[in-house]
Amino acid sequence: MESESGASLPSGPDAKKRRVTYFYEPTVGDYYYGQGHPMKPHRIRMAHNLIVHYGLHRRMEINRPFPAGPNDIRRFHSDDYVDFLASVSPETLAESSYSRHLKRFNVGEDCPVFDGLFGFCQASAGGSIGAAVKLNRQDADIALNWAGGLHHAKKSEASGFCYVNDIVLGILELLKVHKRVLYVDIDVHHGDGVEEAFYTTDRVMTVSFHKFGDFFPGTGHIKDVGAGTGKNYALNVPLNDGMDDESFRGLFRPILQKVMEMYQPDAVVLQCGADSLSGDRLGCFNLSVKGHADCLRFLRSFNVPLMVLGGGGYTIRNVARCWCYETAVAVGVEPDNKLPYNEYYEYFGPDYTLHIPPSNMENLNSPKEMEAIRNTLLDQLSRIPHTPSVPFQTTPPTTQVPEEAEENMEERPKPRIWDGADYDSDPEEDKHWTKFSNPVGQHAVKTEMRDDADGMEDEKPNHPPCC
Amino acid sequence: MAGWSSLTPGSVLDCVETNDAYQKNGSCIGSDIDVRDGVECDEDDDEVRLRCTFDQVLSVFVKEIGDRGVVRPIPAVIDDRQPVDLFKLFCLVRDRGGYDWVSKNSLWSFVAKELGLDGGATASVKLIYFKYLNELEKWFRESCKSRSSGNGQSGLYGEFQLSSELEREFRDLLLDGPEQKGKGDGPVQFESDENGKIEFNLSDTKDAYGMHAGADQCKDDDEEKVCNDDQNGVLISLDSLNKKENDRKRKRESLSGMLNWVVQIAKQPNDPSIGVIPGPTNWREHKGDECWFQVIRAREALLLRRNVDSKTEESLLQKKLKTHPLLYEDNVVAGHQSSERLRCSERFPNSVKSRSCPCCSSCSVPQSNLISPRKKELDNNSKEQAPEEVDLLATNTMVCPSVDAPHEKHVSVGTLFQADVPEWTGVASESDIKWLGTRVWPLQCEEDSSLHEADLTGKGRPDLCGCQLPGSVVCIRFHIAEARMKLKRELGSLFYRWRFDRMGEEVSLQWTAEEEKRFKDLVKSNSPSFWNRASRWFRKKTRENLVSYYFNVFLVQSRSYQNRVTPKNIDSDDDETEFGSFSNGFRHDAVEVSANFEACSQNQQCTDLD
Repeated sequence: MESESGASLPSGPDAKKRRVTYFYEPTVGDYYYGQGHPMKPHRIRMAHNLIVHYGLHRRMEINRPFPAGPNDIRRFHSDDYVDFLASVSPETLAESSYSRHLKRFNVGEDCPVFDGLFGFCQASAGGSIGAAVKLNRQDADIALNWAGGLHHAKKSEASGFCYVNDIVLGILELLKVHKRVLYVDIDVHHGDGVEEAFYTTDRVMTVSFHKFGDFFPGTGHIKDVGAGTGKNYALNVPLNDGMDDESFRGLFRPILQKVMEMYQPDAVVLQCGADSLSGDRLGCFNLSVKGHADCLRFLRSFNVPLMVLGGGGYTIRNVARCWCYETAVAVGVEPDNKLPYNEYYEYFGPDYTLHIPPSNMENLNSPKEMEAIRNTLLDQLSRIPHTPSVPFQTTPPTTQVPEEAEENMEERPKPRIWDGADYDSDPEEDKHWTKFSNPVGQHAVKTEMRDDADGMEDEKPNHPPCC
Repeated sequence: MAGWSSLTPGSVLDCVETNDAYQKNGSCIGSDIDVRDGVECDEDDDEVRLRCTFDQVLSVFVKEIGDRGVVRPIPAVIDDRQPVDLFKLFCLVRDRGGYDWVSKNSLWSFVAKELGLDGGATASVKLIYFKYLNELEKWFRESCKSRSSGNGQSGLYGEFQLSSELEREFRDLLLDGPEQKGKGDGPVQFESDENGKIEFNLSDTKDAYGMHAGADQCKDDDEEKVCNDDQNGVLISLDSLNKKENDRKRKRESLSGMLNWVVQIAKQPNDPSIGVIPGPTNWREHKGDECWFQVIRAREALLLRRNVDSKTEESLLQKKLKTHPLLYEDNVVAGHQSSERLRCSERFPNSVKSRSCPCCSSCSVPQSNLISPRKKELDNNSKEQAPEEVDLLATNTMVCPSVDAPHEKHVSVGTLFQADVPEWTGVASESDIKWLGTRVWPLQCEEDSSLHEADLTGKGRPDLCGCQLPGSVVCIRFHIAEARMKLKRELGSLFYRWRFDRMGEEVSLQWTAEEEKRFKDLVKSNSPSFWNRASRWFRKKTRENLVSYYFNVFLVQSRSYQNRVTPKNIDSDDDETEFGSFSNGFRHDAVEVSANFEACSQNQQCTDLD
């Protein structure tokens, strides 16, 4: 089973346990795009809430991100755009010094100026850069940032609710240490910002699965394959309405299998936009939470450092469900379907379950069509040179994940190199904690730890034998 | 088959269907109905229209010579990469005196620069002009000649005919330049002020990177069409798909108010709430965005879509007689039956009639991908089986529309767009450790304590509870409070640093009952400027307080209501829907859970509501 999906890399069969780091900014849920705006950062708080009530935090290291400053953001974005974002506010919006830029930077309708806009961008970007640094330092095998994944933002332009492209910033950070980075995007919208940013380089391969045809943002044609040295290093999988789990998997697995084989990335970034779920307010796919998370499960099995980001998702209860479940997949736990009681419990009624049934909408993607797409893309992949310019063996040993499955995160030497200059830590509070502490040791627990996520691979049927 | 002068069999049907679909599906993604900020595009309408004309002629030309075995790929590219804007090139050269003159005076490098290409491309530009445009000119002149000399329908150019309008337009373009074109026959465009929000942009193809996948099949001038490439017919309603509109991610719902208003009229024409609609004489000055005005504009636009004829000088207001009488009589009278008839009689003949409308038809030709080899193939096929052309196209494209779909948009290449990716040197560079942020978990001082419940990781709620009324609001509040206590014990101060104290209905404890009621009333008033008004109403609350209350209390309670009263119809995401809510707040009964156990609060509510 594992060997089928993840054994293509020299690291051998899937090592079960992953060291997972998760970035969460506690204020993120308070940002508000404005009345009627479908993008609701509150969903990130809801996801966090579920994660903690499921106890998944116990299997992770959790960090509060360092906010990215204007200079950090300039590593990708243009100076004048960053200056604009850093200083604009709803109050100053009317001033001519700002208003004349609105159109140029595409700020206004879809991408409004809201209170704390830049703070939101800083948290999102800080989390993704932090995730990259974690992977770079080999402190973690998987790094999560649900506030990230804002894939539409362009170098000097906001787009599709995205202002700062945290993904591009995160990938640029990864490129400091990793020669090749693979970016995979399962948002229902095309990952145009990231594709464009790396359109002409072979150091980043972008693969986007998205609804195509009369749909935002309009890019992502299957024949857009990259340019210059980046030619064939951009993959686009244009899909139609009603995409279901099985069809999605039938494209995702073979394509990514081949990508991993041919490109052999040193790190993978997965954008988990949840608007590809069934019943999304803006999306038109029909994926279940499990089908969505299957993408993460598959990529996780390759044992390559993995950054997992959020993205779209506009039916917020399902977004929280999805990202919570994907966190569980990352740490290797299969959570109960019955949600634990939590502050946002009522959002999940009337069933109060983790998983959602897909709707009975028609899948407009015919098998024939999908086969054509698959063949076109596999053909494109066969045209890239096997492992561009550097043989795989010379890449940093990041893929050699510790095989001791029972290893406890707490027993590992923790990198405590930074001097504790935390911008918001409160040592007093930590002392205060002792009175709640429970003396039960960890021994009993260690053996109890389940690692269901990998066991669940059993259910996997044979995927199309095309690679 | 080049066919904007021929009528596709399905067009009448399409129009009808489209109307239906359009009305049922008010939220179909706004490629047509666009909400735009008040900034008016100051594109030159004439230029846009000329570009349309040009593209059509070009596509006919390319197809024509393609048939004779001469391949001229579109878009024309230099060095395999850089697409050349043929229209712009054409205009530039024309304005400088034509091909011969430009060559004689060595102006090509200048032209190349104007096109945004560097000096090295000069020869390529000249070549492109020669291969494409010079031949196009020649071909066009011959075509005109042969037509004027008699039976222009047949002979040399076979299927590839230009409609007379198009021909005239292009001749103007070719010979006179755009200056001489009147302004009055530009595309029809509506744009309302500020947030008025309707725009019917009929023929703006300036940035139209082409229509959607089905554009290949959109022939003729038939105004609204369902492109058949996917079987269920994706709605490509109005033509304009300019870049701006493509840029919208949100589904637009701004018209729902208007549509509701129309429905209301239909149901109760005499209802005073419809309001008074001023006489037509006042429309011109009207700037508002009331429903009736939106309807008028929508109606005008729909009519014009069927009547668009670039030669018509009729202005919007001159067409007023075609509008629904109900909409312009100062006194609202019930008369929809007669008007319904009127409407039908007006629409259908128009849609049946074949019109040559350069603006509309050209929009169906994707600019960026005018002729793909595949399309040519289809064209050839359908020439032989003309009557079945639509079906044939549908079946053919079904094979894989995604693979052969036209491009809607291209990826920009250049330093302005790509990230700066350094070459791989083989040496890893250091990252600043500030990025690791602040580790908050696992708790640093009490490491082992964190694991005391690890065996419960991933556990959900228990199957049963001992509450008197399992699943009631009170029961659930009790269990949530329990869960919070447990969590607080485990997380300690982190509970606060993660702001769990600001999550859930407990947020309402900082609100007085009166404030809560006021907030609910305000939300229910469904005002678009809710948040502005709210901050005026609640001077002591910051905006953050208000947002927090909205998500943590208000939505939780309205969802709680939905779960129990309308479980088939739940929605947490549309801020504009009406929310029901249980009147008894979270306040006391939640914190002191066992105190007063309401028998069945939801049942009370049900009766209250009905």
